[in-house]
Amino acid sequence: MKFPIYLCVLELFASILLAQEKQIDFNSEKNIKKFADYLFCDKDYLRAAEEYQKLNGYEGNDTIIFKTGLSYLFIGDYSTSIDNFSNISSLSPFYENSKLERMKAQFLMNDYFGMRSFYNNNFPEDDSLSDRANRLFTFSYLITEDRLPQKEKFLLPFNSIEKEKISSFYDWKNDPPYKSSALAGILSAIVPGSGKIYTGDISDGIFSFLVTGVFTFLAYDNFRAGHDTRAWIFTGLAAFFYGGNVYGSIAAAQIYNAKITFEFNKGLNVFLESNNYFVPVYEFCN
Amino acid sequence: MIKIVLIIISLFTITAIAQTDWVKWGKAEISYEKKDLIRHKDYSYHDISISGLAVKTLANAYWFFVSDLDGDNCPFSPTCSSFLLQSVKETNIVQGTLMFFDRFTRDYNFIERYNRYPRVEDGHYYDPISLYTLNVKKINYIPPSTVVKQ
Repeated sequence: MKFPIYLCVLELFASILLAQEKQIDFNSEKNIKKFADYLFCDKDYLRAAEEYQKLNGYEGNDTIIFKTGLSYLFIGDYSTSIDNFSNISSLSPFYENSKLERMKAQFLMNDYFGMRSFYNNNFPEDDSLSDRANRLFTFSYLITEDRLPQKEKFLLPFNSIEKEKISSFYDWKNDPPYKSSALAGILSAIVPGSGKIYTGDISDGIFSFLVTGVFTFLAYDNFRAGHDTRAWIFTGLAAFFYGGNVYGSIAAAQIYNAKITFEFNKGLNVFLESNNYFVPVYEFCN
Repeated sequence: MIKIVLIIISLFTITAIAQTDWVKWGKAEISYEKKDLIRHKDYSYHDISISGLAVKTLANAYWFFVSDLDGDNCPFSPTCSSFLLQSVKETNIVQGTLMFFDRFTRDYNFIERYNRYPRVEDGHYYDPISLYTLNVKKINYIPPSTVVKQ
Protein backbone atom coordinates (compact mmCIF):
# COMPACT_ATOMS: atom_id res chain seq x y z
CA MET A 1 0.00 0.00 0.00
CA LYS A 2 2.79 2.40 0.86
CA PHE A 3 4.79 1.54 -2.21
CA PRO A 4 2.61 3.37 -4.74
CA ILE A 5 2.62 6.45 -2.54
CA TYR A 6 6.40 6.48 -2.31
CA LEU A 7 6.54 5.95 -6.04
CA CYS A 8 4.21 8.82 -6.63
CA VAL A 9 6.17 11.24 -4.40
CA LEU A 10 9.42 10.08 -5.96
CA GLU A 11 8.05 10.63 -9.43
CA LEU A 12 6.98 14.15 -8.58
CA PHE A 13 10.37 15.04 -7.15
CA ALA A 14 12.05 13.46 -10.11
CA SER A 15 9.96 15.45 -12.60
CA ILE A 16 10.85 18.74 -10.89
CA LEU A 17 14.52 17.83 -10.78
CA LEU A 18 14.39 16.88 -14.43
CA ALA A 19 12.61 20.08 -15.30
CA GLN A 20 15.30 22.10 -13.59
CA GLU A 21 18.05 20.08 -15.12
CA LYS A 22 16.91 20.70 -18.67
CA GLN A 23 18.01 24.27 -19.27
CA ILE A 24 16.02 26.17 -21.89
CA ASP A 25 17.40 29.44 -23.12
CA PHE A 26 14.25 31.50 -23.17
CA ASN A 27 16.21 34.53 -24.30
CA SER A 28 17.57 33.01 -27.46
CA GLU A 29 16.54 34.90 -30.58
CA LYS A 30 14.64 31.91 -31.85
CA ASN A 31 12.59 31.55 -28.66
CA ILE A 32 11.93 35.28 -28.33
CA LYS A 33 10.63 35.31 -31.90
CA LYS A 34 8.51 32.24 -31.22
CA PHE A 35 7.06 33.82 -28.10
CA ALA A 36 6.51 37.16 -29.83
CA ASP A 37 4.72 35.42 -32.69
CA TYR A 38 2.55 33.59 -30.18
CA LEU A 39 1.66 36.87 -28.42
CA PHE A 40 0.99 38.56 -31.76
CA CYS A 41 -1.43 35.83 -32.83
CA ASP A 42 -3.01 35.92 -29.38
CA LYS A 43 -3.63 39.64 -30.01
CA ASP A 44 -1.48 40.60 -27.03
CA TYR A 45 0.11 43.31 -29.14
CA LEU A 46 1.65 45.32 -26.32
CA ARG A 47 3.77 42.41 -25.11
CA ALA A 48 4.35 41.18 -28.67
CA ALA A 49 5.80 44.59 -29.56
CA GLU A 50 8.07 44.44 -26.51
CA GLU A 51 9.32 41.00 -27.50
CA TYR A 52 9.84 42.00 -31.13
CA GLN A 53 11.78 45.03 -29.93
CA LYS A 54 14.24 42.67 -28.24
CA LEU A 55 15.02 41.34 -31.69
CA ASN A 56 16.49 44.58 -32.96
CA GLY A 57 19.63 42.58 -33.67
CA TYR A 58 17.68 40.85 -36.43
CA GLU A 59 18.72 43.44 -38.95
CA GLY A 60 17.17 43.04 -42.34
CA ASN A 61 14.34 40.81 -41.15
CA ASP A 62 11.53 42.81 -42.63
CA THR A 63 8.84 40.42 -41.32
CA ILE A 64 9.81 41.25 -37.74
CA ILE A 65 10.00 44.98 -38.45
CA PHE A 66 6.60 44.87 -40.17
CA LYS A 67 4.98 42.91 -37.35
CA THR A 68 6.52 45.29 -34.80
CA GLY A 69 4.98 48.17 -36.73
CA LEU A 70 1.62 46.41 -36.82
CA SER A 71 1.76 45.68 -33.08
CA TYR A 72 2.41 49.33 -32.29
CA LEU A 73 -0.35 50.34 -34.71
CA PHE A 74 -2.87 48.09 -32.94
CA ILE A 75 -2.01 49.41 -29.48
CA GLY A 76 -2.26 53.01 -30.67
CA ASP A 77 1.42 53.98 -30.55
CA TYR A 78 1.25 55.43 -34.04
CA SER A 79 4.53 57.34 -34.16
CA THR A 80 6.59 54.22 -33.18
CA SER A 81 4.54 52.27 -35.68
CA ILE A 82 5.42 54.77 -38.44
CA ASP A 83 9.11 54.58 -37.46
CA ASN A 84 9.01 50.81 -37.95
CA PHE A 85 7.18 50.94 -41.28
CA SER A 86 9.65 53.56 -42.52
CA ASN A 87 12.52 51.15 -41.84
CA ILE A 88 11.27 48.61 -44.35
CA SER A 89 13.41 48.53 -47.45
CA SER A 90 11.89 49.19 -50.86
CA LEU A 91 13.17 45.73 -51.92
CA SER A 92 11.06 43.98 -49.29
CA PRO A 93 7.83 42.19 -50.22
CA PHE A 94 6.26 44.11 -47.31
CA TYR A 95 7.19 47.48 -48.76
CA GLU A 96 3.84 48.19 -50.44
CA ASN A 97 1.88 47.09 -47.39
CA SER A 98 4.12 49.07 -45.06
CA LYS A 99 3.29 52.22 -47.04
CA LEU A 100 -0.42 51.56 -46.66
CA GLU A 101 -0.07 50.78 -42.95
CA ARG A 102 1.94 53.94 -42.50
CA MET A 103 -0.89 55.88 -44.10
CA LYS A 104 -3.36 54.22 -41.74
CA ALA A 105 -1.17 55.18 -38.75
CA GLN A 106 -1.02 58.80 -39.94
CA PHE A 107 -4.78 58.77 -40.46
CA LEU A 108 -5.41 57.41 -36.97
CA MET A 109 -3.11 59.98 -35.36
CA ASN A 110 -5.06 62.70 -37.24
CA ASP A 111 -2.05 63.72 -39.31
CA TYR A 112 -4.16 64.09 -42.46
CA PHE A 113 -1.90 66.60 -44.18
CA GLY A 114 1.17 64.41 -43.63
CA MET A 115 -0.80 61.42 -44.87
CA ARG A 116 -1.89 63.21 -48.05
CA SER A 117 1.61 64.39 -48.84
CA PHE A 118 2.93 60.84 -48.23
CA TYR A 119 0.25 59.47 -50.56
CA ASN A 120 1.06 61.98 -53.30
CA ASN A 121 4.77 61.16 -53.14
CA ASN A 122 4.62 57.39 -52.68
CA PHE A 123 1.60 55.98 -54.45
CA PRO A 124 1.81 56.03 -58.22
CA GLU A 125 -1.41 55.05 -60.00
CA ASP A 126 -0.06 51.63 -60.98
CA ASP A 127 0.67 50.75 -57.35
CA SER A 128 -1.11 47.54 -56.33
CA LEU A 129 -2.55 49.15 -53.19
CA SER A 130 -3.24 52.52 -54.76
CA ASP A 131 -7.02 52.04 -54.60
CA ARG A 132 -7.09 51.37 -50.87
CA ALA A 133 -4.67 54.21 -50.21
CA ASN A 134 -6.73 56.53 -52.38
CA ARG A 135 -9.87 55.76 -50.35
CA LEU A 136 -8.10 56.80 -47.14
CA PHE A 137 -6.69 59.84 -48.91
CA THR A 138 -10.11 60.91 -50.18
CA PHE A 139 -11.93 60.05 -46.96
CA SER A 140 -9.64 62.39 -45.01
CA TYR A 141 -11.29 65.36 -46.78
CA LEU A 142 -14.50 64.54 -44.92
CA ILE A 143 -12.70 65.06 -41.62
CA THR A 144 -10.66 68.18 -42.25
CA GLU A 145 -11.97 71.62 -43.11
CA ASP A 146 -10.27 71.66 -46.50
CA ARG A 147 -12.20 72.40 -49.65
CA LEU A 148 -13.78 69.26 -51.06
CA PRO A 149 -12.89 68.07 -54.56
CA GLN A 150 -15.68 67.74 -57.14
CA LYS A 151 -18.26 65.14 -56.19
CA GLU A 152 -17.70 62.82 -59.19
CA LYS A 153 -13.97 62.80 -58.58
CA PHE A 154 -14.51 62.39 -54.85
CA LEU A 155 -16.67 59.27 -55.21
CA LEU A 156 -14.38 57.59 -57.74
CA PRO A 157 -12.23 55.43 -55.38
CA PHE A 158 -15.24 53.94 -53.56
CA ASN A 159 -17.21 50.87 -54.59
CA SER A 160 -20.92 50.96 -55.43
CA ILE A 161 -22.02 49.96 -51.88
CA GLU A 162 -19.87 52.63 -50.25
CA LYS A 163 -20.77 55.32 -52.76
CA GLU A 164 -24.27 55.91 -51.42
CA LYS A 165 -23.09 56.58 -47.88
CA ILE A 166 -20.05 58.56 -48.97
CA SER A 167 -22.29 60.66 -51.18
CA SER A 168 -24.49 61.58 -48.19
CA PHE A 169 -21.34 62.41 -46.15
CA TYR A 170 -20.17 64.59 -49.01
CA ASP A 171 -23.47 66.46 -49.18
CA TRP A 172 -23.47 66.99 -45.43
CA LYS A 173 -19.90 68.27 -45.46
CA ASN A 174 -20.62 70.54 -48.39
CA ASP A 175 -23.69 72.05 -46.76
CA PRO A 176 -23.91 71.11 -43.07
CA PRO A 177 -27.40 71.56 -41.54
CA TYR A 178 -26.17 74.09 -38.98
CA LYS A 179 -28.43 76.58 -37.27
CA SER A 180 -27.55 80.26 -37.39
CA SER A 181 -26.65 81.63 -33.96
CA ALA A 182 -27.40 85.19 -35.16
CA LEU A 183 -30.89 84.17 -36.29
CA ALA A 184 -31.48 82.35 -32.98
CA GLY A 185 -30.51 85.52 -31.08
CA ILE A 186 -32.73 87.75 -33.25
CA LEU A 187 -35.72 85.40 -32.91
CA SER A 188 -35.36 85.35 -29.12
CA ALA A 189 -35.02 89.12 -29.06
CA ILE A 190 -38.37 89.41 -30.86
CA VAL A 191 -40.24 86.62 -29.06
CA PRO A 192 -38.45 85.29 -25.95
CA GLY A 193 -37.71 81.58 -26.27
CA SER A 194 -38.34 81.34 -30.02
CA GLY A 195 -34.59 81.16 -30.73
CA LYS A 196 -34.35 78.09 -28.52
CA ILE A 197 -37.34 76.51 -30.25
CA TYR A 198 -35.55 77.19 -33.56
CA THR A 199 -32.50 75.27 -32.30
CA GLY A 200 -34.66 72.32 -31.23
CA ASP A 201 -34.78 73.07 -27.48
CA ILE A 202 -38.56 73.37 -27.46
CA SER A 203 -39.14 72.98 -23.73
CA ASP A 204 -36.31 75.41 -22.91
CA GLY A 205 -37.89 77.90 -25.31
CA ILE A 206 -41.31 77.58 -23.68
CA PHE A 207 -39.83 78.04 -20.19
CA SER A 208 -37.84 81.07 -21.38
CA PHE A 209 -41.04 82.60 -22.70
CA LEU A 210 -42.94 81.85 -19.49
CA VAL A 211 -40.23 83.13 -17.10
CA THR A 212 -39.62 86.33 -19.06
CA GLY A 213 -43.37 86.80 -19.53
CA VAL A 214 -44.22 86.29 -15.87
CA PHE A 215 -41.60 88.77 -14.62
CA THR A 216 -42.62 91.32 -17.27
CA PHE A 217 -46.25 90.96 -16.24
CA LEU A 218 -45.33 91.33 -12.53
CA ALA A 219 -43.40 94.50 -13.33
CA TYR A 220 -46.28 95.91 -15.39
CA ASP A 221 -48.85 94.94 -12.76
CA ASN A 222 -46.87 96.51 -9.92
CA PHE A 223 -46.32 99.73 -11.86
CA ARG A 224 -50.05 99.85 -12.54
CA ALA A 225 -50.81 99.32 -8.84
CA GLY A 226 -48.36 102.01 -7.83
CA HIS A 227 -45.85 99.69 -6.09
CA ASP A 228 -42.83 101.31 -7.69
CA THR A 229 -40.08 99.58 -5.70
CA ARG A 230 -41.40 96.11 -6.35
CA ALA A 231 -42.11 97.08 -9.95
CA TRP A 232 -38.49 98.16 -10.52
CA ILE A 233 -37.19 94.93 -8.93
CA PHE A 234 -39.36 92.89 -11.27
CA THR A 235 -38.35 95.07 -14.22
CA GLY A 236 -34.69 94.37 -13.46
CA LEU A 237 -35.33 90.65 -13.14
CA ALA A 238 -37.36 90.60 -16.35
CA ALA A 239 -34.56 92.45 -18.15
CA PHE A 240 -31.96 89.98 -16.92
CA PHE A 241 -34.10 86.97 -17.88
CA TYR A 242 -34.72 88.57 -21.29
CA GLY A 243 -30.99 89.17 -21.82
CA GLY A 244 -30.20 85.66 -20.61
CA ASN A 245 -32.77 84.26 -23.03
CA VAL A 246 -31.20 86.04 -26.03
CA TYR A 247 -27.70 85.03 -24.89
CA GLY A 248 -28.83 81.45 -24.22
CA SER A 249 -30.39 81.16 -27.68
CA ILE A 250 -27.10 82.10 -29.32
CA ALA A 251 -25.30 79.55 -27.13
CA ALA A 252 -27.99 76.94 -27.89
CA ALA A 253 -27.38 77.37 -31.65
CA GLN A 254 -23.64 76.85 -31.11
CA ILE A 255 -24.26 73.75 -29.01
CA TYR A 256 -26.69 72.44 -31.65
CA ASN A 257 -24.00 72.86 -34.31
CA ALA A 258 -21.44 71.10 -32.10
CA LYS A 259 -23.94 68.25 -31.66
CA ILE A 260 -24.48 67.99 -35.43
CA THR A 261 -20.72 67.89 -36.04
CA PHE A 262 -20.32 65.28 -33.29
CA GLU A 263 -22.95 63.05 -34.88
CA PHE A 264 -21.40 63.48 -38.32
CA ASN A 265 -17.97 62.45 -37.01
CA LYS A 266 -19.55 59.53 -35.20
CA GLY A 267 -21.15 58.46 -38.50
CA LEU A 268 -17.73 58.64 -40.19
CA ASN A 269 -16.20 56.42 -37.50
CA VAL A 270 -19.04 53.90 -37.75
CA PHE A 271 -18.53 53.83 -41.52
CA LEU A 272 -14.79 53.26 -41.17
CA GLU A 273 -15.32 50.45 -38.68
CA SER A 274 -18.13 48.74 -40.57
CA ASN A 275 -16.16 48.81 -43.82
CA ASN A 276 -13.04 47.35 -42.18
CA TYR A 277 -10.76 50.08 -43.44
CA PHE A 278 -8.31 49.41 -40.65
CA VAL A 279 -8.59 45.65 -40.35
CA PRO A 280 -5.37 43.98 -41.55
CA VAL A 281 -5.54 41.35 -44.26
CA TYR A 282 -2.27 39.59 -43.49
CA GLU A 283 -2.18 35.90 -42.76
CA PHE A 284 0.57 35.66 -40.20
CA CYS A 285 -1.36 33.45 -37.81
CA ASN A 286 -2.71 30.69 -40.03
CA MET B 1 -3.47 8.12 3.37
CA ILE B 2 -4.97 9.04 0.06
CA LYS B 3 -5.61 12.53 1.43
CA ILE B 4 -1.92 13.06 2.13
CA VAL B 5 -1.09 11.91 -1.37
CA LEU B 6 -3.64 14.30 -2.84
CA ILE B 7 -2.31 17.21 -0.78
CA ILE B 8 1.25 16.47 -1.87
CA ILE B 9 0.17 16.22 -5.50
CA SER B 10 -1.76 19.48 -5.32
CA LEU B 11 1.19 21.26 -3.70
CA PHE B 12 3.56 20.04 -6.37
CA THR B 13 1.11 20.94 -9.08
CA ILE B 14 0.84 24.49 -7.76
CA THR B 15 4.64 24.81 -7.80
CA ALA B 16 4.81 23.43 -11.29
CA ILE B 17 2.27 25.77 -12.83
CA ALA B 18 3.24 28.87 -10.85
CA GLN B 19 4.07 31.87 -13.00
CA THR B 20 7.34 33.66 -12.52
CA ASP B 21 6.29 37.00 -13.95
CA TRP B 22 4.71 38.12 -10.72
CA VAL B 23 7.02 41.11 -10.54
CA LYS B 24 5.64 42.48 -13.81
CA TRP B 25 2.03 41.76 -13.00
CA GLY B 26 2.07 42.89 -9.37
CA LYS B 27 -1.20 43.61 -7.70
CA ALA B 28 -2.73 47.03 -8.14
CA GLU B 29 -3.34 49.34 -5.22
CA ILE B 30 -7.09 49.42 -4.76
CA SER B 31 -8.93 51.71 -2.42
CA TYR B 32 -12.14 50.38 -0.95
CA GLU B 33 -13.10 53.74 0.54
CA LYS B 34 -16.51 54.96 -0.48
CA LYS B 35 -16.35 57.91 -2.86
CA ASP B 36 -17.24 61.26 -1.34
CA LEU B 37 -20.05 62.48 -3.60
CA ILE B 38 -21.13 65.40 -1.41
CA ARG B 39 -20.62 68.73 -3.12
CA HIS B 40 -18.50 70.82 -0.78
CA LYS B 41 -18.68 74.59 -0.95
CA ASP B 42 -15.64 76.79 -1.00
CA TYR B 43 -16.32 79.92 1.04
CA SER B 44 -12.80 81.31 0.67
CA TYR B 45 -12.08 84.51 -1.25
CA HIS B 46 -8.92 83.10 -2.72
CA ASP B 47 -8.11 84.13 -6.30
CA ILE B 48 -11.11 86.45 -6.73
CA SER B 49 -11.13 89.45 -9.06
CA ILE B 50 -12.61 92.82 -8.04
CA SER B 51 -15.71 92.26 -10.20
CA GLY B 52 -16.08 88.78 -8.77
CA LEU B 53 -15.95 90.03 -5.18
CA ALA B 54 -19.60 91.11 -5.05
CA VAL B 55 -20.76 87.95 -6.79
CA LYS B 56 -18.72 85.77 -4.42
CA THR B 57 -20.20 87.58 -1.41
CA LEU B 58 -23.68 87.07 -2.82
CA ALA B 59 -23.02 83.36 -3.44
CA ASN B 60 -21.48 82.89 0.03
CA ALA B 61 -24.52 84.54 1.63
CA TYR B 62 -26.86 82.32 -0.42
CA TRP B 63 -24.92 79.20 0.58
CA PHE B 64 -24.81 80.17 4.27
CA PHE B 65 -28.40 81.34 4.71
CA VAL B 66 -30.24 79.18 2.18
CA SER B 67 -28.39 76.36 0.47
CA ASP B 68 -26.68 74.80 3.49
CA LEU B 69 -29.99 74.70 5.33
CA ASP B 70 -32.15 73.72 2.40
CA GLY B 71 -29.88 70.95 1.12
CA ASP B 72 -28.26 69.98 -2.16
CA ASN B 73 -31.22 70.54 -4.48
CA CYS B 74 -29.75 71.90 -7.72
CA PRO B 75 -30.06 69.21 -10.39
CA PHE B 76 -27.01 70.45 -12.27
CA SER B 77 -23.29 70.16 -11.89
CA PRO B 78 -21.84 72.71 -11.31
CA THR B 79 -24.71 74.09 -9.23
CA CYS B 80 -26.31 77.35 -10.40
CA SER B 81 -24.43 79.41 -7.79
CA SER B 82 -21.11 77.76 -8.72
CA PHE B 83 -22.01 78.29 -12.37
CA LEU B 84 -22.39 82.01 -11.71
CA LEU B 85 -19.03 82.20 -9.93
CA GLN B 86 -17.25 80.21 -12.61
CA SER B 87 -18.82 82.13 -15.49
CA VAL B 88 -17.92 85.52 -13.98
CA LYS B 89 -14.38 84.26 -13.42
CA GLU B 90 -14.13 82.84 -16.96
CA THR B 91 -15.67 85.81 -18.78
CA ASN B 92 -16.74 89.07 -17.15
CA ILE B 93 -19.49 90.33 -14.83
CA VAL B 94 -21.98 91.17 -17.63
CA GLN B 95 -21.53 88.01 -19.70
CA GLY B 96 -21.32 85.89 -16.55
CA THR B 97 -24.62 87.33 -15.30
CA LEU B 98 -26.34 86.63 -18.64
CA MET B 99 -24.98 83.07 -18.57
CA PHE B 100 -26.36 82.67 -15.07
CA PHE B 101 -29.86 83.88 -15.99
CA ASP B 102 -29.92 81.56 -18.98
CA ARG B 103 -28.87 78.67 -16.72
CA PHE B 104 -31.46 79.70 -14.14
CA THR B 105 -34.17 79.54 -16.83
CA ARG B 106 -33.00 76.09 -17.90
CA ASP B 107 -33.03 75.09 -14.24
CA TYR B 108 -36.81 75.62 -14.21
CA ASN B 109 -37.24 73.27 -17.13
CA PHE B 110 -37.84 69.83 -15.66
CA ILE B 111 -38.90 68.18 -18.95
CA GLU B 112 -36.75 65.28 -20.17
CA ARG B 113 -33.51 66.53 -18.67
CA TYR B 114 -32.12 63.00 -19.02
CA ASN B 115 -32.51 63.34 -22.78
CA ARG B 116 -30.62 66.59 -22.97
CA TYR B 117 -27.74 66.47 -20.51
CA PRO B 118 -25.05 63.91 -19.68
CA ARG B 119 -24.67 62.99 -16.03
CA VAL B 120 -21.83 63.07 -13.57
CA GLU B 121 -21.09 60.14 -11.27
CA ASP B 122 -23.21 61.52 -8.43
CA GLY B 123 -26.29 61.64 -10.71
CA HIS B 124 -26.43 65.39 -11.36
CA TYR B 125 -26.79 66.69 -14.90
CA TYR B 126 -23.51 67.88 -16.36
CA ASP B 127 -23.79 71.41 -17.68
CA PRO B 128 -20.35 73.08 -17.73
CA ILE B 129 -19.77 76.78 -18.44
CA SER B 130 -17.48 75.93 -21.37
CA LEU B 131 -20.60 75.31 -23.48
CA TYR B 132 -21.95 78.82 -22.95
CA THR B 133 -18.99 81.21 -23.27
CA LEU B 134 -19.84 81.71 -26.99
CA ASN B 135 -16.33 80.48 -27.80
CA VAL B 136 -16.94 77.67 -30.32
CA LYS B 137 -13.49 76.19 -29.71
CA LYS B 138 -14.32 75.58 -26.07
CA ILE B 139 -17.50 73.63 -26.82
CA ASN B 140 -16.94 69.96 -26.19
CA TYR B 141 -20.23 68.26 -26.94
CA ILE B 142 -20.97 65.23 -24.76
CA PRO B 143 -24.01 63.11 -25.67
CA PRO B 144 -26.73 62.77 -23.00
CA SER B 145 -26.22 59.03 -22.51
CA THR B 146 -22.69 59.60 -21.19
CA VAL B 147 -21.56 59.51 -17.56
CA VAL B 148 -18.90 62.16 -17.06
CA LYS B 149 -16.08 61.57 -14.59
CA GLN B 150 -15.07 64.72 -12.76
